[in-house]
Amino acid sequence: MANLLWLQGGACSGNTMSFLNAEEPSACDLVTDFGINVLWQPSLGLELGDQVKAIVEKCISGEIKLDIFVFEGTVINAPDGTGEWNRFCGRPMKEWVKELSAVADFVVAIGDCATYGGIPATAPNPSDSVGLQFLKRDKGGALGEGFAAKSGLPVINIPGCPAHPDWVTQILVAVATGRAGDLTLDEFHRPKTFFSSFTQTGCTRNMHFAYKVSTTAFGQRKGCLFYDLGCRGPMTHSPCNRILWNRHSSKTRAGMPCLGCTEPEFPFFDLAPGTVFKTQTVMGVPKDMPEGVDKKGYIKLTSAAKGAAPAWAEEDIFVV
Amino acid sequence: MDDDETRATIAEMLASGLETEVWPRAGTSEEVNEIVARLQVEAGQDLEKKLVIAGFTDHTIEADEIEQPCETCMYYKVHAKFCELPELMVPVEPEWSCRLWRI
Ligand code: SF4
Ligand code: SF4
Ligand code: SF4
Repeated sequence: MANLLWLQGGACSGNTMSFLNAEEPSACDLVTDFGINVLWQPSLGLELGDQVKAIVEKCISGEIKLDIFVFEGTVINAPDGTGEWNRFCGRPMKEWVKELSAVADFVVAIGDCATYGGIPATAPNPSDSVGLQFLKRDKGGALGEGFAAKSGLPVINIPGCPAHPDWVTQILVAVATGRAGDLTLDEFHRPKTFFSSFTQTGCTRNMHFAYKVSTTAFGQRKGCLFYDLGCRGPMTHSPCNRILWNRHSSKTRAGMPCLGCTEPEFPFFDLAPGTVFKTQTVMGVPKDMPEGVDKKGYIKLTSAAKGAAPAWAEEDIFVV
Repeated sequence: MDDDETRATIAEMLASGLETEVWPRAGTSEEVNEIVARLQVEAGQDLEKKLVIAGFTDHTIEADEIEQPCETCMYYKVHAKFCELPELMVPVEPEWSCRLWRI
């Protein structure tokens, strides 16, 4: 039996909604099949007010062993570093977060807000939000660079806006069943099992990426979304085209560019007008290259691929 | 007019000295947006205005040490010899160029 407590800071509840849609395993499977005891969760917990406070205090005092502390949303520091803008059970949430993280065996940050600050931390960051151990790419966050939970692991980051439900439940099961030792984390504390490949890995548009055929409008089945519509698939670490959404699709399969929501800088370019769904270019060359490709190589590759593209690549092959 | 006739008409317009806005090239995404907005508002379906605003030439232009022929442009359909930029949608030749070139 592993006790799990889930709290929420500066967030939209999107990750809770995502978690409740999990299928492999489902949120119910966590309890019935994998021995997770959910002490409290904002959308599932029956307790209110002082009853919740009592659970949280017992975790901190050690009366209840806290195996897994899950946090969704940013840690809010405004105003003036007090955190008073996000009070929970009579205190700033940031204080609960520190004390619970200190007693938990594992701390798991879910969603872009809890991991790297996400949308709330977008400039000018009015709520002075940070992630648990990062603010965008910078180490530190609410708990500090050197933080390690009692298990010895730093905060396990499962980014995404929201995170895919199965990334959440599979990591929780791994931790609850004593297999955390199998997890390797990347430099941004993401489990490598999910975040070593790219959104582009498994994308149905790879043929069109290779032949440099561009999609020119949302929802088109033909073409690749990188060249014009700002798809970040080639430089975003995510398994979105390997572990499909709702089991059968993904953004890029549906004709919507990847926004790079699993990367620390999300949302990119601070959402400045004209930067969303539009490939940013300098003198006609994309500002952000597919990972590992330089400008010269890209121009050579693109020119050659374009010249070699077969006629069918320019047609809409998805006929009814 | 079919594509071959339109292409020949454009070639004729460019060869007979139609002055187009070749420079400055669209260096940043903001500049691209400005030119595209002008194509939408000022040119519409007017072929000559499209060519002028987009800065068409019947030869390749080099900018920032990069050659910018239609042939390597993202919007160029190799087999149809056609520019698929939604605001242009005109038949072209591979060695032509315009300032909205992108790769
Ligand atoms: S649509 Fe995006 S993810 Fe798919 S092949 Fe193109 S760039 Fe890659
Ligand atoms: S496709 Fe991109 S933006 Fe969409 S969920 Fe995956 S990583 Fe995030
Ligand atoms: S947008 Fe590209 S293909 Fe179209 S005219 Fe300009 S350079 Fe040629």
